[in-house]
Amino acid sequence: MVRVTDQSVYKRRKFIAGALGLAALGSFSTLRYRGRMSARAAQAPSDELTIEEPAPSTSDHSPINLAERRITTKYAATHYNNAYEFGWNKSDPAQRSGDFQMRPWTVTIDGLCHRPGTFDVDDLMGTPFNQLEERIYDFRCVEAWSMVIPYNGRPLRDILAAVEPMGSARYVAFTSVLRPEEMPGQASLFSSLEWPYVEALTLQEAMHPLAFATFGVYGDRQLPQNGMPFRITLPWKYGFKSTKFIVRITFTEEQPPATWNLTNPREYGWYSNVYPDIDHPRWSQATERRIWGEGDITRMPSRPYNGYADAVAHLYLGEKKQYR
Amino acid sequence: MIRLFVHGACATPALLLLAGWFNNRLGVDPEKTLIWESGIWTFNLLLVVLLLPIVANWTQWPTLHRYRRAVGLWVFSYATCHFLFFITFLLGWDLARLGEELRERPYIVFGFCAWLILVAMAATSNRAAIRWLRKKWRVLHLWVYAAAGLAAIHYLLMVRSHYGWAGTYAGIVILLITARFIRVRKRRTARDG
Repeated sequence: MVRVTDQSVYKRRKFIAGALGLAALGSFSTLRYRGRMSARAAQAPSDELTIEEPAPSTSDHSPINLAERRITTKYAATHYNNAYEFGWNKSDPAQRSGDFQMRPWTVTIDGLCHRPGTFDVDDLMGTPFNQLEERIYDFRCVEAWSMVIPYNGRPLRDILAAVEPMGSARYVAFTSVLRPEEMPGQASLFSSLEWPYVEALTLQEAMHPLAFATFGVYGDRQLPQNGMPFRITLPWKYGFKSTKFIVRITFTEEQPPATWNLTNPREYGWYSNVYPDIDHPRWSQATERRIWGEGDITRMPSRPYNGYADAVAHLYLGEKKQYR
Repeated sequence: MIRLFVHGACATPALLLLAGWFNNRLGVDPEKTLIWESGIWTFNLLLVVLLLPIVANWTQWPTLHRYRRAVGLWVFSYATCHFLFFITFLLGWDLARLGEELRERPYIVFGFCAWLILVAMAATSNRAAIRWLRKKWRVLHLWVYAAAGLAAIHYLLMVRSHYGWAGTYAGIVILLITARFIRVRKRRTARDG
């Protein structure tokens, strides 16, 4: 059985949530749970933290089980990647990531939070890898191709809540690893990107239940080309927002920089939500080429927020252009 | 013999792509591979066309001049495939969108103009046209340098972040145009002096 998240599910979810809501009135305590996240860093012995689930709202969107859905083949999703750290060719990440060391891997969480620290990636998972939640998300690249991929992980907000963001925190910045000796694309002289790769979300976006801390795809964690050992997945945004190889998460008050936005602000907005009617200056975003497998490609219309509008549109009020 | 070699060499990339397409060896996104490779080979052969007179000069082998038309027609064929692949795979023959893309996206305009020049050159590549156009024919076919310039810009505008290859191609085009300019000047001073 797999866990999926898409529009039809969401509608069903609303119905189920309503029914469950009635049933749960008498037992509100079931909405709370205790999460564990152990810290290895000496300065942050946050070995047991209580995570309080945010109050459920109608806009809350959690994935639920659904019958099988067509997904992209693992070969396609692991041999057609954008990870400029390994090179700009789609085949580079699979071919040129052989030297990449995925363990040990620690993630420093700092900035405006009460329990900063450096955590081992295995502790961030919270459970053994094979017990992580699996979610099937539509993944939409800014280059107008898309795939359907099963991700293994847990909601990002579980991790963020555990370090207790301060009231003043408004943004969450993500920093990727900098290892030019293991990542040939970072050593390239012709790249106009600054390394390490940085990205950021508003705290509200990062705490959204769809934002997914990801430790593997297709049940496989040994895939640097897909951003492992630790990335985030944000299905309603263009793929480059879903930062790979994360080594640092920082809570800030000011809007942090984002690599593609810095490189070319005219072409890549800071929010980078999927809006089919707002074109990239060099190509249209109205349609996408859905890659199902090698040479198995269908053209289809793109959807606002990549099909997750019901779940996330409430985060973006007013003129859409400012959230491009 | 040389003619056979020239056509064989020019046809090789196309045959490899064709074989790759049918054997599923063009990667995860073969459509994109076709668009990309047909464009790159258009450019490669275009550079060969521009290099031929220079090499003919260096090697004192004037026969080479004769193969400009053959290679030039291959350039036109690759460019036409490139354009057809683009319309088929990226636009799905939505020609209304082609108009829109041409209006809004400069890299397509540059590529399209380069292709129009190649069309004009291919259409006038026979003896009858040479006889009919006379002096104008030479001027028309000098536009190949403009096509190369447009192609270089077309490529540069495509790049998302790695400018290495596109920059190299643009550099070669600039060198070739400069070389042509110097050649004409030398010839003129030789004639006038």
